[in-house]
Amino acid sequence: MEIDIEKLEKLSNLKVQNKEEIAHQLQDILEYVENLGELDTDAIESTFSTLEGGTPVREDVPVHSGVAQDVLKQAPNAQDDYFIVPNIIE
Amino acid sequence: MTLKEALNLSPEEQQSLKSELKAKIEASDLNAYIDSSDDGCGGVPIAIKDNISVKDWDVNCASNILKGYKSPYSATVIENLHRGGMSAFGRTNMDEFAMGSTTETSVFGKTLNPHDKNCVPGGSSGGSAAAVGGGLAVAALGSDTGGSIRQPAAFCGCVGMKPTYGRVSRYGLVAFSSSLDQIGPITQNVEDAAILYDAIAGHDSHDSTSANIEYKPTVIDSDRKMTVAVIENYLEEVDAPTRKAMEESIEALKSAGHTVVYKKMMGTKYDISTYYIVAPAEASANLSRFDGIRYGNRIEGDNLEELYLKTRTEGFGDEVKRRIMLGNFVLSSGYYDAYYIKAQKVRHLIKNEYEQIFNEADLILSPVTPSAAFEFGTINDPLEMYKSDMFTLSINLAGLPAISLPVGKDDRGMPIGAQFIAKHFDEQSLFDGASSLEKIINYKG
Repeated sequence: MEIDIEKLEKLSNLKVQNKEEIAHQLQDILEYVENLGELDTDAIESTFSTLEGGTPVREDVPVHSGVAQDVLKQAPNAQDDYFIVPNIIE
Repeated sequence: MTLKEALNLSPEEQQSLKSELKAKIEASDLNAYIDSSDDGCGGVPIAIKDNISVKDWDVNCASNILKGYKSPYSATVIENLHRGGMSAFGRTNMDEFAMGSTTETSVFGKTLNPHDKNCVPGGSSGGSAAAVGGGLAVAALGSDTGGSIRQPAAFCGCVGMKPTYGRVSRYGLVAFSSSLDQIGPITQNVEDAAILYDAIAGHDSHDSTSANIEYKPTVIDSDRKMTVAVIENYLEEVDAPTRKAMEESIEALKSAGHTVVYKKMMGTKYDISTYYIVAPAEASANLSRFDGIRYGNRIEGDNLEELYLKTRTEGFGDEVKRRIMLGNFVLSSGYYDAYYIKAQKVRHLIKNEYEQIFNEADLILSPVTPSAAFEFGTINDPLEMYKSDMFTLSINLAGLPAISLPVGKDDRGMPIGAQFIAKHFDEQSLFDGASSLEKIINYKG
């Protein structure tokens, strides 16, 4: 299997400088992880929860955390209750 | 000065301890700290890894993309420190977004090992471990996704502990791999690790994966006799000095009256493969939030798409980019079942294997690393670097607690660590066993 580095850049929304080198490194890693094929996993569940007993659920009750304005203050560009982005509609 | 001793100081003495540390940090060339931020609260100063939020402090995850970003609130562990008579003091260096084993991927430059400045301090909590090992911190907090507390602690001659998944709140910890991350202590000794762990542990409604179960504070009993399983095939995969230190530890445990049994595990190569599918997959999703809109750095573009692309291209370093791309590959259509689902299934096998051993043993003893700290530049290939995490990854994959403590030195005088692993939520046994071994080994002399 060949790595399509440009497709991965697109999926990741970023560019790498040394495309060939990174493609080669990713190829090596993916070849290594093929060893999982040696393990029989047919009868095993395909989901996994790290938390013993599974993830707990809670009532869906809205709470006021009070940090919204503090969060907005840290944004590169914000006004009133909004993050400011470049025009998205011409 | 230990954490236990520092907690007994008067508020004035604790304040002057901060001033002493600040002077030491400024005089040091280890680059363990990014800065000596102070939360202004009284109490014993605890150094904080740069991925844990402290209100109004910079939190950069050692990444260019978060430069200039300040935490709008404090992590639950920080609030817990305050309740326990401690305060956040000093922001420690780390691998970018906790992705690395040497702290070399930090945008703030590398941290040096306090025992030999030509050697790596380990990673990703390398700053926290170098600070404690180098006498620049009483104790520190780190985070452990695949060994990022235990491995640098082992390399720097300190104690590092990774709690059971769900035991310590992740609220305010910048997420790398959400099903693996835990915050934990890096300290000078086992007792301090228990004190700091007790201070930060417990249920938190702000973290939906926080375990809502009863929590009993640790009372260390180093005289308790336990059954310790040694993973026989792991001993064959370490270098000679590490093997010697492991064998001395086993003898020490026997001489203290513990029962040692030998077990085999299926092999670390499967842990490495599973981890390097699951962790990058989760990271690619978690790090998609860094796009120049809500946090830190923004590189302007002619349109939104260009803004995203430029911000992420200039904001992330190579190792982070590699893992995001790897994660997107294993999650992409056509490959998802073969890689991601396969890895999730293997996690069950890894967890079951541990459970079987714990039917017969209270604790497992294993190496932390295949060798002591290596020199900068020794490992350049990403896959080879990933393989060096071989003994620590499966603990996170299974969600178990583990503690690393120094048990010897190699012929260069570099510290060698060993780790105990316990059942889910059985941190008590972890501290009992580690304390027993610490006493007999007498590493500090």
